Amino acid sequence: MNRKWMFLFLMLTGLALTSGCWGKKELTDIALVSALGIDKNEEGRYVGTIQIINPGNVAGGLQGGGGGQAPSITTYSATGDNMVEMSRRASTKISRRLYYAHTNLVVINEELAKEEGITKIFDAFDRDPEFRTTATIIIAHDTKAADILKTLTGVDKIPANKVIKTLKFTEQRWGEHMEVSIQEGIKDLVSPGKEPVITGFRVNGNAEQGKKLENVQQSALEAILQADGLAVFKDGKLVDWFQGETARGVTWILDKIQGTDININWEGEQEAIAYQVIRQKTKVSANMKNGQPKISIHVRAEGDIGEVMVPVDLTVPSVLFNIEKTLEKEIQKEINHAIQRAQKNQSDIFGFGEAVHRSNPKAWKKLKQDWNNVHFPQLKADVTVEAFVRRTGLRNKPYFSNMESNQ
Amino acid sequence: MPSFFKHLKKKKNSENHKESSQDQPNNRLLGFIDDSISINLDMIKQKTGNSSDVVIRTLNISPHSEIKTAVVYVEGIVDTVSINDFLIESIMKNHALQEKLTRENALKVISNNVAALGSIKLVSDWEQLLLSLMAGETLILVDGTNEALSVGTQGGETRSIEEPSTQLAVRGSRSGFTESIRTNTALVRRIIKNPDLWLESMKIGEVTQTDVAIMYINGIVNKKVVEELRQRLKRIDIDGILESGYIEQLIEDQTMTTFPTLYHTERPDMVAGNLLEGKVAIFVDGTPFVLIAPTIFIQFFQAAEDYYARFDIATALRLLRVMIFFISIIGPSAYIAATTFHQEMLPTQLLIAIAAQREAVPFPAFVEAMIMEVTFEILREAGVRMPRAIGSAVSIVGALVIGQAAVQAGIVSPAMVIVVSITAIASFATPSFAIAISARLIRFIFMIVAATFGFYGIILSFIMMIVHLCDLRSFGVPYMSPLAPFSPKSAGDTVVRLPWWALKQRPPFTSNENNIRQGKDQRPQPPANRGMVNSHTRKSDQNES
Repeated sequence: MNRKWMFLFLMLTGLALTSGCWGKKELTDIALVSALGIDKNEEGRYVGTIQIINPGNVAGGLQGGGGGQAPSITTYSATGDNMVEMSRRASTKISRRLYYAHTNLVVINEELAKEEGITKIFDAFDRDPEFRTTATIIIAHDTKAADILKTLTGVDKIPANKVIKTLKFTEQRWGEHMEVSIQEGIKDLVSPGKEPVITGFRVNGNAEQGKKLENVQQSALEAILQADGLAVFKDGKLVDWFQGETARGVTWILDKIQGTDININWEGEQEAIAYQVIRQKTKVSANMKNGQPKISIHVRAEGDIGEVMVPVDLTVPSVLFNIEKTLEKEIQKEINHAIQRAQKNQSDIFGFGEAVHRSNPKAWKKLKQDWNNVHFPQLKADVTVEAFVRRTGLRNKPYFSNMESNQ
Repeated sequence: MPSFFKHLKKKKNSENHKESSQDQPNNRLLGFIDDSISINLDMIKQKTGNSSDVVIRTLNISPHSEIKTAVVYVEGIVDTVSINDFLIESIMKNHALQEKLTRENALKVISNNVAALGSIKLVSDWEQLLLSLMAGETLILVDGTNEALSVGTQGGETRSIEEPSTQLAVRGSRSGFTESIRTNTALVRRIIKNPDLWLESMKIGEVTQTDVAIMYINGIVNKKVVEELRQRLKRIDIDGILESGYIEQLIEDQTMTTFPTLYHTERPDMVAGNLLEGKVAIFVDGTPFVLIAPTIFIQFFQAAEDYYARFDIATALRLLRVMIFFISIIGPSAYIAATTFHQEMLPTQLLIAIAAQREAVPFPAFVEAMIMEVTFEILREAGVRMPRAIGSAVSIVGALVIGQAAVQAGIVSPAMVIVVSITAIASFATPSFAIAISARLIRFIFMIVAATFGFYGIILSFIMMIVHLCDLRSFGVPYMSPLAPFSPKSAGDTVVRLPWWALKQRPPFTSNENNIRQGKDQRPQPPANRGMVNSHTRKSDQNES
């Protein structure tokens, strides 16, 4: 018995000593990377911009006094032929070990995405055990990735958080953009039947001014990070930017709309009724007809009337029915726009190819080769929309309807 | 219970060995009482070192003052009133009897006709005479006889029954044990009014001669456990027993463990409840803490109130207590592991908040945690043992040191203060102090392991702890039962407590003979139509349901 315990004790002591606090990293020795930006310089080398959180200036509280004195983040840049080299070389400038486990945002330069493509960039992120592939990717629109990372932000003090939360809530409320993580991006890149779409962000205002602390010390910020457009990729390269309703058409098809606002014309008045979508479901299915693939898209949207600018009696069922019909046409229009534009770009961002693959794997084998260039642009898509008005808010007729009838 | 017999076997060997050696120091054969009272009184004086509290009252009891008599007792441990009223006064004033007295029948007459006290016995050897004198009995010696009367007059000042200072209950009996073994056994007898409640007494402690009693319910208890307990108690050969802790340490199954394998309680209702489960209670004179054997791990999470409150509440509290135990063990170590090894496991915002606090702290998280934990232990120790008058000073200084000042000085981070506070509160919230104290020790081991291996180490040592717990036995009963080995029938009173009507059986591992504790269908079945007033409808409804 004693010998057994002794043996166990020695084993454990040995185990404890051999480990030597393996993997230990004190909080004061790690630099929390909140975001990573990738640009390319003239020599064709990658320029990485690393956004590091200054915890003391974010949390404030007892020590710092609210973080008024110093910015909540610090950025460093480093060059390298690949991501790992760049990250390691950055250590010459940073006093701490870079810690990527909390990196939530990867910003990619627009030029880089157009010229070289994003296909090979993600390997390091995918491979590294520390880096999370749930991090969001965005494309820097009309600016350098570094500028996006260097811009200080207002309410959410960490720019990376600001970007992610902006994306999340605009996706929920407005629906023209969507959050794409690294793993989703990789999945789309790899799939022959789907091309990636990634949201773009721009610095709205003076980018130089945005780097200064004064930017956040005023009520109207001089530089604001703003979601702007959907970047459409083909073969890993950025080919087009979708904006506005076209972009929303994409999110409709991808079933990413959680809520949005759709305006319709009513009795000659432009954009007179605002319809707030509260939930929707889009089903994309494919079938083969005469050897040609055909896509049917069925959208079912439910929502409330949010605003009425014309006197209309919403208690009348036929009125609501007409509103629904008009809405259906409006949504159908957006979706068709998006499809046409994507067909022009010869990039199947909607995953129609995957739908064909699912419904008819045999046919897909033949179609797969020239899908984007030949089959997708000629694809017939049958869009059916069902829209329902569920509630009309707190009132039926607008308050001004009687006023006008009196006149 | 294979291990049970293993222990028995071992014990027998060592016991034989012990007994032979026991005889030598025990060899106090002082012989028998002399005929002459003066020699006897001298002997008593000599043996007690002429102690000033030994009172020797000499009387002459025959009308002719021929028969010299002495009443001997130790002041303070006897009931002086009853000695004066029922012994001395009766002897002196009972003239009618005095006339019958002769030297030969004096003791008989006194014991039969004079001494108006309950327990009385004839003693003839010195050893027993002196022991009973020291136990608070009064000796009556008569000149010319070689025997003495020993009258039970135990008394003196004892603490009255008060609310126990540990294991308080909002609902439940308010009485707690006292230092007097007689009061304590009486408290349990008052709860269990059954002739099957058996009590066995013995004296342990070569010098202190402490009264130790074991109590059990015959017919419910596992006889093997009682036998084993008797053996273990008999084995004890020590100069003194000052508290039940002595007994606990001398009879426990496993000494190399921080976990207590005997339960102690101050509550008579707790003892009664355990006796009904077939356990054995060990009373020790001079302490309000009564030991209970065998003990299982989950017992330390059971509060008396669990059984008085309704089962849903009791179950919720049980679960809370188990959680509390885990918090008090792995609280600081989880903090260390999360902040030095697994930063990825914390939400970003939380990590930033902790990192901000840690920026100014000069120590690694482990050292920081150690400083705070040790400081807290010092404070607690000071709080426990300090004179009451200084208590407030310590709490003020303590609050400063452990709280604000340490944070402001930049020595520890506020998060660490929170972790230490939660851990401290958790360890106070454990219903049994015995398990809380072992959790306190284990916590430090976990902290060291967490600082070396992170969560990996915590899990590893946790597994080792569980293995160790499963290895423990208390009087042959597996410590982790009924969880490991799992016995579904008695698992109803572990981390959950089922309603009373569902707890049909006593735990089978403690009571072997008589397992059923309640009748069938004890679940209340009120009439379906709620017609409480009319008793006829009530009856018919019950039949239907």
